[in-house]
Amino acid sequence: MAPPEHALPDVDPDLEADLRAGLDRPWVTIVWNDPVNLMSYVSWVFRTHFGYSDAKANQLMIAVHEEGRAVVSTGPREQMESDTEAMHTYGLWATLQKDD
Amino acid sequence: MAEAFRRKGARYVGKFDQEEREVVVHLLSQVRELVTLDEAPATGDPIRDLLDGLGREPASPQEIAGRDPALRRLLPQASRDDDALAQDFRALAEHDIRRAKAANLAIAIHALSFEGGSRVELDQRQAQALMIAVGDVRLMLGERLELRTDEDAERLQEVFDEGTEHDGERRLLAAYYEFLTWMQESLALTLTA
Repeated sequence: MAPPEHALPDVDPDLEADLRAGLDRPWVTIVWNDPVNLMSYVSWVFRTHFGYSDAKANQLMIAVHEEGRAVVSTGPREQMESDTEAMHTYGLWATLQKDD
Repeated sequence: MAEAFRRKGARYVGKFDQEEREVVVHLLSQVRELVTLDEAPATGDPIRDLLDGLGREPASPQEIAGRDPALRRLLPQASRDDDALAQDFRALAEHDIRRAKAANLAIAIHALSFEGGSRVELDQRQAQALMIAVGDVRLMLGERLELRTDEDAERLQEVFDEGTEHDGERRLLAAYYEFLTWMQESLALTLTA
């Protein structure tokens, strides 16, 4: 029997949701606290590399210092690789991962 | 006696005598040596050099584990729980990071390498390069001094102030570290103002 003309494709709805979440879920760059990098320097790096305002750069720097880590940027994997590379070039310890 | 960097118009001016500059240049050169790869020297033939660069093997986990801890800190793992991701990132980015650091260190070394006098006058590009390069030296020294936590760093200052540190070499590294902390802070504050 031929299928009806306008049948919905037989796709597992759960699988479809997973795929969509995987595609939509962005990546993040995380900067970790360390005992060496100076607070003034870390703020300067956030302003200079990301173009963040003084207030946002300071807020992120304090979050790194007090909470041990902070998400400093969000976006596609390629962009997070580029941000992580820049942070390492500045001497900050950054990692990247899929946002959770 | 050194004087912190200050802004004068478009220039960044500080005072560091010959001996102080020589110590900083020596430390900057050590980091440059750490980050510079032993590569086949450029042949001058652009196609050949490009192909040599492309054929470079990414660092193996064994090679990374055997590295000087200071180099491991300068080129850290880009993931703390996903070794494959960290490895992919290294293959992609490590060479460029090494090259950027080496270029930056070279600018800083050049800016401080002059004979006589104590006035160090930098343009913005040099001031930024020196600030970043001094940060890399502090990471190297921090690793040698085993600074792992904020408390370790605070204790270093105390131990140094009280003169209770008897290990000569460690004391010297701590003195360099404190001096460079002061220098980097003065650049960060001046570049921000």
